[in-house]
Amino acid sequence: MVTSDAAPIVARELAKTFRVHEREEGLGATLRAVVRRRYRDVRAVAGISFRIDAGEVVGFLGPNGAGKTTTLKMLSGLLHPTSGDARVLGFVPWERRDAFLSRIALLMGNRSQLVWDIPAADSFAVLREIYRIPEDQYRRALDELVELLDLRPLLHKPVRNLSLGERMKVEFAAGLIHSPNVVFLDEPTIGLDVTMQARIRRFVADYNARTGATILLTSHYMDDVVALCRRVLVIHHGTLLYDGALGRLAERMAPYKVIVVTLHDGARDLRAYGDEVERAENRVTLRVARERAPERAAALVRELDTSLADISVEDPPIEEIIDRVFSGERPVPA
Amino acid sequence: MIATYRALALAQLQALSQYRAQVFIYLFFSIIRPVIFLAAWVAVANSQGGRVGAFGVADFAAYYVGIMLVGHLTMFWHAWDFETEVRLGKLSAKLLRPLHPVHYAVVENATWKLYTLLGLAPAIVLIALTFGARFTTDLPHLLLFMPSVLLAAALNFVIGWCVCASAFWTTRVHAVAELVNRAAFIFAGTIAPLDLLPGVLRTIAYALPFGYVIGVPAEILRGGTSLERAVVLLAVQATWLLIALLAFRMLWATGLRRYSAVGA
Repeated sequence: MVTSDAAPIVARELAKTFRVHEREEGLGATLRAVVRRRYRDVRAVAGISFRIDAGEVVGFLGPNGAGKTTTLKMLSGLLHPTSGDARVLGFVPWERRDAFLSRIALLMGNRSQLVWDIPAADSFAVLREIYRIPEDQYRRALDELVELLDLRPLLHKPVRNLSLGERMKVEFAAGLIHSPNVVFLDEPTIGLDVTMQARIRRFVADYNARTGATILLTSHYMDDVVALCRRVLVIHHGTLLYDGALGRLAERMAPYKVIVVTLHDGARDLRAYGDEVERAENRVTLRVARERAPERAAALVRELDTSLADISVEDPPIEEIIDRVFSGERPVPA
Repeated sequence: MIATYRALALAQLQALSQYRAQVFIYLFFSIIRPVIFLAAWVAVANSQGGRVGAFGVADFAAYYVGIMLVGHLTMFWHAWDFETEVRLGKLSAKLLRPLHPVHYAVVENATWKLYTLLGLAPAIVLIALTFGARFTTDLPHLLLFMPSVLLAAALNFVIGWCVCASAFWTTRVHAVAELVNRAAFIFAGTIAPLDLLPGVLRTIAYALPFGYVIGVPAEILRGGTSLERAVVLLAVQATWLLIALLAFRMLWATGLRRYSAVGA
């Protein structure tokens, strides 16, 4: 079914519950399980709603088991939801129409979709036929991917002979050879070294800029999210906790600021100005309630006078904010 | 679709050419098993004055040479691969593409059979000559063998995919595949030609689909049935294929709803 909603990704109260077989330890329990199985319902996604506009790159954040991958699998048509609804490019994803599958991609950092025994170039040729890509479009897409990912030396080696980083690059190219309009990226940089992570990040940004594709990305590396996404969705226990600008995440999720003071004389006690969270030689990091931060910073400048070498007022690091959310601290109401 | 099949077949051939040892092992066992049964039946026939029922030594030879050829052309092995794909989440990569996963298996199946037939064909001819196999020279029988073996291959393929689809419920298809394989071993006509099975077993064999995969095409090739009976057997093959296709469509659609895409 195709609808006229302009946003390429729309989820409404999307939910997924898995029924899992419960196993207890020990021989007795194992034998009992042969006769009578016990099942438990696990709610992976508890009814989430959001819409993503064309050309957006949105970060999907959450700890392991939060429901990120399950949501991506529903949106890409791999899983049927237990309840709720979604439209991707106007299609119901789990109807898995060819016209839908030809325009999306789900890339998983730790999964291979290429044939291991043949060179990547031959796998690409197979994909060209499967997606029925016209010759000129295929050439153009392949040339772009080869250039962006520096693939030329890898194209004619059997995939099994490639290193993990090389294989990831080739997997990316295979996943995007049909120039999808919507791309779901699940941990695209997992297991890669820092250089390769940066390269993949640059590639995703370039791909988005060149094609205008809509991208929904999950990653445990905050660097990926900071580099690529202006907007983030934060999910925890299958519930959406935050949907908005990455820059405002700190405002919403962390009710404090961090004041970093560098002193000429490191011995000063600054606990009267805020909670001291770190002290390294002459550098003291203080945590201060967000609304009190300007006043405390001014007081520090005034009262420390010449013993102050430097001062900065910052939002806490994004990792710390996310950690606060996931460790059970709820967001501050907007 | 033809271009897709051609591209998949080419990729499959490239992969196959790297595993020659696997081809030789396969050929050895494809030949040796029917030859053992053939040798056993020849021994039984010789101990009974050269005949068992309607079968003489040359008829047994023709039947088991037929079994070798039909067994090869109708073989299905994808259940094990499919189970691995489901368990490791590799099926997801295929489900994300606009091509039903069955098509990959169709190409893999056909490519392997044609590729290895190059090695199997001379062996089959040699065994036929060694044992003095006597085939029909009746043209209508030979013409009927073609659709019969195609229907048999399609039937076994679809039955195999019904077994594959059981992975959506059990995740492990080994038990289901093993059950089907054991039943097929007894009732397909491998141990003995269907018409030599004793009373009730013979009735069961003709009521189940397995005989229509192996024994029936081999009997038509040998000329062991009348032309009228061969046509009826073909119609039964087509009916079983239709039933299997309907069952597969239902199992696949229901199974996909249960698919939990574990591991990927």
